[in-house]
Amino acid sequence: MTIAALAWRNLMRRPMRTALLALGIALAVATALALIALSASIERSTADSTRERGADLTVSQKGAADLFAGFLPDKLGARIAAVPGVAGVAGELIMFAPVDEAFQFLAAGMADDSYFWAAMPLTEGRKPDKGERYVVLLGASVAKALNKKVGDEISMFDHGLKIVGITGYRTAVNRGVIVMRLQDLQELAFRADQVTAFHIALAPGLTTYAVAAVERGIESLAPVNVDPTDQLFANDRNVEVLNAVSLAISIIALATAGLSVLNVLLMAVHERMRETGIMMAIGWSDGRIMATIILEGLLTGVLGCALGVPLGLAACSLFELLPVIGTYLTFQPGLAVIAPSVAGALLLSVLGSLYPAWRAVSLTPAEALRRT
Amino acid sequence: MDHAGAPLIALRDVSRSFDDGAVVALRGIDLAVAQGEFVSIVGRSGSGKSSLVHIMAGFDKPSSGQVWWQGRAIADRRAWTVLRSSEIGIVFQEFLLLPTLSARENVEIAISKATAGEARRRADDIIARVGLAARAEHLPHALSGGERQRVAIARSLANRPRLLIADEPTGSLDSANAALVLELLFELRRERGAALVLVTHEEAIAARADRVVRLSDGKLENGSGDGGRPS
Repeated sequence: MTIAALAWRNLMRRPMRTALLALGIALAVATALALIALSASIERSTADSTRERGADLTVSQKGAADLFAGFLPDKLGARIAAVPGVAGVAGELIMFAPVDEAFQFLAAGMADDSYFWAAMPLTEGRKPDKGERYVVLLGASVAKALNKKVGDEISMFDHGLKIVGITGYRTAVNRGVIVMRLQDLQELAFRADQVTAFHIALAPGLTTYAVAAVERGIESLAPVNVDPTDQLFANDRNVEVLNAVSLAISIIALATAGLSVLNVLLMAVHERMRETGIMMAIGWSDGRIMATIILEGLLTGVLGCALGVPLGLAACSLFELLPVIGTYLTFQPGLAVIAPSVAGALLLSVLGSLYPAWRAVSLTPAEALRRT
Repeated sequence: MDHAGAPLIALRDVSRSFDDGAVVALRGIDLAVAQGEFVSIVGRSGSGKSSLVHIMAGFDKPSSGQVWWQGRAIADRRAWTVLRSSEIGIVFQEFLLLPTLSARENVEIAISKATAGEARRRADDIIARVGLAARAEHLPHALSGGERQRVAIARSLANRPRLLIADEPTGSLDSANAALVLELLFELRRERGAALVLVTHEEAIAARADRVVRLSDGKLENGSGDGGRPS
């Protein structure tokens, strides 16, 4: 009989207690997994949306607390376009805007000369005509949420806007954006001559060195950050805070699970002290006895992970059903999301079992055998 | 390292007290057991028999004095663990089987230095030898007292120990089962050539030993420990 089999037999002598412990670990794993997935999906979904529109780099205001809080003069776009290696510039004012007085959606004002217009896919309607004012294109999620179609009207900042098209983007963020002319959004939001960021399309075939030269060239024009699209939130304070909060809650959840393992195993060790004495009496070493108890902790951790991972993935799927999250984020569970929570749970299950294991062998065989 | 001519186990001037000396269980015990020897320890309740057994099996440390195994002083916990895993087998009055393991598994987990398959085979053999082949997969609670003690005897002999310590092995059995268990214990001990230290309060049983050691108030009577000097 292996010590793993003995550890399993010990756990199964109180199946309800083991099941509740595993459930506690499972909830901690699911919580950690969902929070890590949420953090990761914000950065990934935004990067995906920017890539979908054909951007390689994003230029934002240096020192701004977050991407939306920064503003740049829209005239900077012409100077950026002149930097060697830049193939296209898309100035964009982006913000959460009140729509029909009851909703908040992302509104993106795009400059008339933005290369995004040309690449924009449509499922219905058309793009704005030259000089046409106060018209919008809705992302598919927005159109569905508002139950609007081409020809209808929406209200933004108390101003009526006519829907002329529905965009055909595939990423969640882009499907949740209302697109309009930059001039209109600047006027409605009192942001005259300002953009939130410039998106840059690079000339094809640039080497890494040449891309770095483009970044330096743009940075020399004004106090700006130039980031690849997949590092869009590298300087975003809000995302940093969200990541830190997610990590802290995940650690607290997993540590609570580790403490539960410690508590339950300590109780089990106390109950089985006489049996531990028997094992000592028949020549089991302290290491072997401790290994059995640590294995009990590890096995409950494995059980908890086996329950917790599907639970966490199910929670992520539920997040997507929530309009406030699902409109902008998609969850793609992968090893990078699952591994930290599983590794954390297993590590803390083992750590939680160390003290009970040590307690089990802290008595002499005579003392242990005297216990009832 | 074996010392030729040294007793198998020897206690030299061993004392054991509890509660900072308020309770003295053993006083200056000198006791030696030779290879293959059968020694009975008799004494009234509270005379120190169990304390003596605990010291001889390394379950407890003497307050003073030393225990020698084959001429080598044994003091640390690890050395005692090694001895119990291979050289010393123990049978308790209360059987002390692990309740979640079957009769065979209780024997199997005591077998050291063997692969899983070999341990299982050896456990099956010895379980059959004590007449419990048909009951091998039963949990202890499904066995009678006599059967449980037979499992405990099988477990104590599973590693072919050179010293077998039996602490009142029939104390929890009725007279019929007690006789059967004792005969089995003596028979298996003879087969394997192990020394036997048998703690009992029954003079008739004690008289079957090569030597009877009497304990009274924690002391050996009339030097019945026969030296206890390691060579």
